[in-house]
Amino acid sequence: MQDRDAVALDAATVAALARLLGYPPLDAETAARIAAGAGNAVAAVRATATVPLFDAEPGNYLAELERLAGPEP
Amino acid sequence: MIDTGRATLTEAAAALARGELSSEELTRDCLARAHRLNPALNCFLRIEDEAALAAARRADEARACGHPLGVLHGVPIAVKDMFYDPARETSSGSEIRRGFHGAATATALARLRGAGAIVLGALNMTEFALGPTGHNPFYGACRNPWNPAHIAGGSSSGSGAAVAARIAFGTLGSDTGGSIRLPAAANGILGLKPTYGRVPRTGAMPLSWSIDHLGPLARTAADLARLLGVIAGHDPADPSSSRRAVPDYEAGLGAGVAGLRLGVPGNFFFDGVEPAVAAALEAALAALEEAGARRVAVTVPAAEHLTELGRTVVYTEAAALHGHWLRTRPQDYSPQVRARVATGVGIPAAAYAEALQLRALLLRRVCAEVFDACDVLVTPALAIDVPTLAATDVGGGASMWSTIAQLLQCVAPFNYLGVPALSVPAGFTPRGLPVGLQLVGRPFAEATLLRVAAAYQRLTDWHERLPPTH
Repeated sequence: MQDRDAVALDAATVAALARLLGYPPLDAETAARIAAGAGNAVAAVRATATVPLFDAEPGNYLAELERLAGPEP
Repeated sequence: MIDTGRATLTEAAAALARGELSSEELTRDCLARAHRLNPALNCFLRIEDEAALAAARRADEARACGHPLGVLHGVPIAVKDMFYDPARETSSGSEIRRGFHGAATATALARLRGAGAIVLGALNMTEFALGPTGHNPFYGACRNPWNPAHIAGGSSSGSGAAVAARIAFGTLGSDTGGSIRLPAAANGILGLKPTYGRVPRTGAMPLSWSIDHLGPLARTAADLARLLGVIAGHDPADPSSSRRAVPDYEAGLGAGVAGLRLGVPGNFFFDGVEPAVAAALEAALAALEEAGARRVAVTVPAAEHLTELGRTVVYTEAAALHGHWLRTRPQDYSPQVRARVATGVGIPAAAYAEALQLRALLLRRVCAEVFDACDVLVTPALAIDVPTLAATDVGGGASMWSTIAQLLQCVAPFNYLGVPALSVPAGFTPRGLPVGLQLVGRPFAEATLLRVAAAYQRLTDWHERLPPTH
């Protein structure tokens, strides 16, 4: 998926981040699984964010849904 | 007199209103079926005989006094075990919340009760609603009524199985990555994920506040319309719920599909679809065309990224919601769900924020490139035959992860976008397992989806077939 292999998140980094958050130590398998899942997610963001988001306000998504809906009943 | 084992929710409500039977009689019938079938299906975590019968008797007394309670007066339903109620345990399918009682009743549950529904009990679900199969290491897996060796789908596993087995006339579920539509498809019933904000989430277990949706499961489009009409609408306690007016969803069900444009995506959604599923969907599209709909080709922009963009948000918010327990009670999660909720640890905050920023941009593109060209997008709900419990369990072999990815392929993209999506039964595979057709609309187009589903159900009888475990 995407180009995650080009810049992979490694299990050791995940384990360090978990320690930073105060989690008990992660076993190697869990850390590797988290690294793969998070890597896929971030790769999708990188692949999709192809334009500047400088003026994109994410705070009120509901208003965007309402704006793009058809006329009210 | 209605056949209580075959009647739909709206038929049962009408029979009760005509006085053909009492709510107590109907509720006893449903409870008996629940006790008979639950050992094989494990769709209920708790069957609440006493509370249900007491509520049914109150409903009957109200009717006798000339005080109709609402459009669900006396109708037995059930809810996923994640809707808070101070009087009942709400486990969220987890060990951590075993014995938990919410401080106030969930708004959706209160609205169902306010409309007169009788709650039969709490339904099985994936631990903390995080998983598409219905496995649960603490309470046991929910099984599919069409074949108990197969999954019921998740995370609203019991919500799907209880309706398919004719135990409950309708159920309430949640959908953060397909969790209503997958069980609907796997069990041969309908499930609707409404637009984000259409149904308030107050008092429902959160998984991801930006992506969680609540919605109904039932056997007909009319039943779904009835349930959605009850639970939809703004709640001041949930600022993310829409103030937009709630239409009469039942009013347009008979309008048919003549002139409607059905968009069939040429990219992503039909990749890897099993031949039996593809054939069933083609037959469904042909039937709708015969009824006057028009097929148009569309391309869904960024389709291959939508699920992962949604996961960026879900994993981050889930890690925040579960942070305290991940620090203090990690042993009380199953290893699989612990890894899923902890995945947010590896996602940079900037990526989370970008995923949220991108959402409105992508929604605008999808509306312009898809929903300006068609009224309803049509895809499979589940691209593959319903897999077995063994094939999707821990240690299910090398193919387990790809099977789970295939389960989510067609449903999860629409959680990120927040647009409404519905699964309707569209046949059976040669192995006798249900096929689901997914209908997707522009924001707040639930009435259009229900109209198409109702038209399709008038052309077919898939929803009238009884599972062998009935």
